[in-house]
Amino acid sequence: MKIELVNRPGNTAAKVTLAAGETCTAEAGAMIAMSGHMNITTTTHKKGAGGIFKAAKRMLSGESFFLNHFDPKDKEGELWLGSSLAGDMLALTLDNENLIVQSGSFLASEESVDMDMGWQGFKSLLSGESMFWLNLKGRGQVVLSSFGAIYPIEVDGDYIVDTGHIVAFNETLDFTITKAGSSWLQSFLGGEGLVCKFSGKGTVWCQSHNANSFGHALTPKLRKA
Amino acid sequence: MKSEIKGSQAFSYVEVELAPDEVIVTESDAMSSMDADIELKARLNGGLFKGLLRKYLGGESLFVNHFSNPTNTPKKMTIVQGTPGEICHRKLDDEVYYLQPGAFIACSPGITLGLEFAGLVSFISREGLFRLKMSGSGDLYFGAYGALLEREVDGEYIVDSSHLVAYEPGIKLKLQLAGGIFSSLFGGEGLVTRVEGKGKIIIQSRSITGLAGWLNPKF
Amino acid sequence: MHTTYNVVITGKLAAGADKTAAINAFGALFKLSPEKSQSVFNKAPVAVKSNTDKTTAEKFYRAISKTGLECRVVDATAGDTPAVSQGQKDTPASSPAAPAATTDNDTPVTFKGFSYKIEGRPDYSFLTVEIPANETLKVEASAMATMDTHLVMKTKLKGGFGRFLTGESLFLNEFSAANGAAEIGIAPGTPGDLVHQHLDGQTLFLQNSAFVAATMDVNLDTKWQGMLKGFFSGESFFLIRASGKGDLWFNSYGAIIEIDVEDDYVVDTSNIVAFTEGLEYEITKVGGYKSLFLSGEGFVCRFKGKGKVWIQTRNAQAFTSWAHFFRPVKSKK
Repeated sequence: MKIELVNRPGNTAAKVTLAAGETCTAEAGAMIAMSGHMNITTTTHKKGAGGIFKAAKRMLSGESFFLNHFDPKDKEGELWLGSSLAGDMLALTLDNENLIVQSGSFLASEESVDMDMGWQGFKSLLSGESMFWLNLKGRGQVVLSSFGAIYPIEVDGDYIVDTGHIVAFNETLDFTITKAGSSWLQSFLGGEGLVCKFSGKGTVWCQSHNANSFGHALTPKLRKA
Repeated sequence: MKSEIKGSQAFSYVEVELAPDEVIVTESDAMSSMDADIELKARLNGGLFKGLLRKYLGGESLFVNHFSNPTNTPKKMTIVQGTPGEICHRKLDDEVYYLQPGAFIACSPGITLGLEFAGLVSFISREGLFRLKMSGSGDLYFGAYGALLEREVDGEYIVDSSHLVAYEPGIKLKLQLAGGIFSSLFGGEGLVTRVEGKGKIIIQSRSITGLAGWLNPKF
Repeated sequence: MHTTYNVVITGKLAAGADKTAAINAFGALFKLSPEKSQSVFNKAPVAVKSNTDKTTAEKFYRAISKTGLECRVVDATAGDTPAVSQGQKDTPASSPAAPAATTDNDTPVTFKGFSYKIEGRPDYSFLTVEIPANETLKVEASAMATMDTHLVMKTKLKGGFGRFLTGESLFLNEFSAANGAAEIGIAPGTPGDLVHQHLDGQTLFLQNSAFVAATMDVNLDTKWQGMLKGFFSGESFFLIRASGKGDLWFNSYGAIIEIDVEDDYVVDTSNIVAFTEGLEYEITKVGGYKSLFLSGEGFVCRFKGKGKVWIQTRNAQAFTSWAHFFRPVKSKK
């Protein structure tokens, strides 16, 4: 499976080239276009494993209930994937490590990658993210999407990421909910409020923008519901 | 101040490196990530009264944030605006620069943020009664939804009111109809800003108003 | 004022052109080796003829257009494309006058196309068109962002009953340069890219909200897609059919990907921006009936034959359903 990301970071699309016999698993609704001979199967789970229960858990973590599996049958084929909002994508190769992914950021993966719902504790409620997260593990390539440009931060010690800006992080990192700077009052007056503090050693991938801030900027101009 | 604008025009963000004791002043909630050692102080911008004016009339927030580096090694942070779009850097050297409400993102402490009555023009075109007057010396970061394009004005030029972002002090704004009454009612252009004088203006290639105009019929 | 022109290759291909063949033809025209012409092409946008008069620029334009490379004539004083510096010896700026142009001296040379530039690509593309004196440009309603003060704007009712059903504005604006050439800046409401096509008899189909601007000899009409197709695909009932001669600009939501269809290709109906006439298209379901309702893909458009499809990397419905949650709530009556 070959992944090429085009038009980063504005309205990124992933071009996935599949050899005969390979399968790409993608979030429902992510397909933009594909070769005419591409075969598509829809399941609630990873091909050949899991079931309704896993799908329900996935839905709790902000992903869709269904997954689509694309295979080009007996000759090479291509597949274009997009996300629902404008933004960047990130392609990573997992080598038996665990990646914790913000709800809604999963876009596609190789068949060999396993996904499960993760629980980050009640702090998730305050993090501006969903309560549940996805845990990706196994070997193989994954594609994540974000609202905004994605930039990695190599944490070695403590680093602060504003709520609503986390895309994914290595399982070797832990985060706590805290304040920006040394004073709670200043953090709230300054509009920063709660932030996530990552500690340990590993990578956190951040998204430059926060979709909620953009949504609120649109509100005054939108037609009343 | 060391800084770099990244993320292309689509999703510009500013990566800032604060040297020891260095300070950057930002719009409220502009920080998206930072080293845990960086200190934050919220300040009323120019006193309570001016701060309130700025909030309610200038479309900006009551507080601005002063981020500082109390350690003795350089520390990194990233700053971003609320909407997607481009961020521009401009160095002021003891001069004045005007921003439309909402365009301010960050500056070095040598720049003063003021609020000025922008005339009835601005009010009628629904861009707010006031404009932000940036004066002094230092680094200024401002931005808007869309890409930012520079246009040189010498004489007169017409800009749709929702597309103007910033301009030099040599520029004056007037209001007029884009076409006749019929066109103004049905052509969707309505009132436009007539820019007069000599100097550079910055326009945004998309507007929130335009985006809403595209979205609203789809709901 | 505008006395000199640059001829610029844009780095794009004309509709339906083959890249290698076009670059080779371009090389033959300027007597360059295939490697050289490839390297010139890679530098695009690049001026292949700078600071020349209008007639010569037009000759170059006609000759280069025939190779299949997209090129345009720009005002040399506008400075939006890097002119070739003297040091770059491998560009054919000083090659002998366009040789191919001599073969059709019998046809009158007409200035083909308005000069234009696109900035802010690909996410917030902004179009600036130079309207020559006494010419008119039709522009989608509400899209004008900047203009010279002497442009005259008129609002016209768009033709066709179809307009009522496409969700588009019923009006479009015509901007006329009555008192000398004038510039207009156009910003569509949709965040995305812009594509320019010079029509010379061929026909393009556009998704109903993709139209941005066109010159007066481009005909726009709506095409009934049929009840069933339109209904199930969740898309509009109409396509805009653009034909005739002249410049046409259309836009997308998200970035644009050009797909050269060789035999068959499947595109989600909400990601179609435009396609060339001659392609067969059919709205079908993707996969089995289970996939139809559960996959989130619903109906797709299956293109067959040979031609070009422009697709967009995002779809408006997804954005609309997200934005719905941010709508203000109606105040109590």
